[in-house]
Amino acid sequence: MSAHKKIPSWGKLQDWFVEKLMDNQGGVSPIGGNPNLFNAPLPKEGLQKQDYQSFLEAASRTMIRFKKPEHLIKMIVKTIDEQLKVMHTAVLLYKEEKKNYILIDSKGATGMKIPVGFVRLTVDNPLIRVFSEKNSFFISETGILNYDDIICGLRNRNILELQPDLYDNLLAVKKQMDLLKAALCVPCYFKRDLLGILVLGEKTAGESFSREEMGFFVTLANDAAMAIANAQLIENLQQRVEEIKELYINEHRIFIHTAIALAAAIDARDTYTHGHTERVTNYCVSIAKELDGVPEVSQYKDYRETLQIASLLHDVGKIGIPDYILNKNGRLTPEEFEEIKKHSIIGATILQPIKELSDVAKEVRSHQECYDGSGYPDGLAGNDIPFVARIIAVADAFDAMTTNRPYRKKKTVEEAIQELKAKSGTQFDPIIVSAFLLAYEKGNILNNHGSKDNHNL
Amino acid sequence: MHKLLVVDDEHDICDFVKNFFKDRGFQVFIALNGEEALSLVKKERPEIVLLDIKMKGMDGVAALKHIKEIDKSIKIIMVTALEDQDKMNEAYKLGACDYITKPLVLDYLEQAVLKNLKG
Repeated sequence: MSAHKKIPSWGKLQDWFVEKLMDNQGGVSPIGGNPNLFNAPLPKEGLQKQDYQSFLEAASRTMIRFKKPEHLIKMIVKTIDEQLKVMHTAVLLYKEEKKNYILIDSKGATGMKIPVGFVRLTVDNPLIRVFSEKNSFFISETGILNYDDIICGLRNRNILELQPDLYDNLLAVKKQMDLLKAALCVPCYFKRDLLGILVLGEKTAGESFSREEMGFFVTLANDAAMAIANAQLIENLQQRVEEIKELYINEHRIFIHTAIALAAAIDARDTYTHGHTERVTNYCVSIAKELDGVPEVSQYKDYRETLQIASLLHDVGKIGIPDYILNKNGRLTPEEFEEIKKHSIIGATILQPIKELSDVAKEVRSHQECYDGSGYPDGLAGNDIPFVARIIAVADAFDAMTTNRPYRKKKTVEEAIQELKAKSGTQFDPIIVSAFLLAYEKGNILNNHGSKDNHNL
Repeated sequence: MHKLLVVDDEHDICDFVKNFFKDRGFQVFIALNGEEALSLVKKERPEIVLLDIKMKGMDGVAALKHIKEIDKSIKIIMVTALEDQDKMNEAYKLGACDYITKPLVLDYLEQAVLKNLKG
């Protein structure tokens, strides 16, 4: 047998392989490694043995990046079928849900090809056990189970006479290989698990497989195993991600409900601002709809979420304001007003220790700031005031104006809007006021808020 | 030589099973649908039929009924996927003698045919 004679055909096979690997249909995953591995120049003609070896190494590195192992397996089966003149080829893979090895792809001559999905091997099938128990007597040093070796074993009189159990086992394995018309069975292992088996029928010319061919099968089987194991790992990971997502959604729902409950508790204490938080939150959401795409929004990790929670909790600091001030029936003294003004700082202080709410805490702290710098607690102006806080300021002021206060009667909606317009650019950010006006014109401010009766309509 | 008829609308399956039993000394006929199966039953009178349940047109259960009308003595083994359990019960009532589920273990395929030929 001359290995040299075979080199040109191996070279052709490798070129073909590269072509298939680079084919977009192949579904090479972009994750990890260098996807352009095959741009490395291959010797054009007369690949030497060491080139062949390095080619295989390179091929295997690319192949394990196939996203779907089925693609790789189909390609392996196709390659063998088209290039290696065997009667038939098949791949059996272990399917967890069926607890069996199922034939998932095959090719071959009419009647030789085993139909896909038609055949399974149980885990206690003698053929499977040769591999899962790593029965070294049956397997050559390459790891391949060779029909010729089984026949040799059966012809050995010593085995028949001295090791009847082994003889029976050889017979059982032979029978399974006969059923599958298998000349070679190549295992696909990942760690110690047998993931599948590559089955090869006889060569059409009837000759034995060469060492190079067997080495090639082993490489393909190993690559398939890696691809399958990778895909399984990714699948498990995705499943885990889904579980965590679900957990997060649940937790998040509980969290939002806690925030709502907290807001309701604050509202309940303040007899004059009943329903205030709910309305402000709704106004904020309506204003925010008109602000999509403004550059400030992109500064937030999750702008809508920050807005929703911050508006729900903007008055949480009122928890620290004495009842007699909060519910005073009459105008506040300057000292009392100073006390009330602390609520934004108190609110931020309450929220600050909660890591997930540190952004929200900033907004809560600044919701009483004025655009011209005349607000409290820090006297911030313009863009120094966090964006969400500027939205809350407008919504908060509109609700304050359109509801009764101990010291003054409520304004009509029209009067309140006039005041927003008048203070646009001084107390309020003009962008937010315009967004509010847009939302108002669309009917999004007063509709769907469920608390309309608090307004003069 | 035993006469076996394989009925399946998948060509690959017919070819494979035909080859499989030819190697085991059978005379094998194949039919890709119920109608073909019936005319082969009339012409060749097989001793045993491997009959797929899920087929386009006349399904396996209907074909079973017609084959039994032609010749009650023909042994019929249904080939089925697991989810066809209701159909399987119906097939038993109509006189099927055995069933094999896909994907199948090749030993069972051989055993089921041999066992039912004897029985």
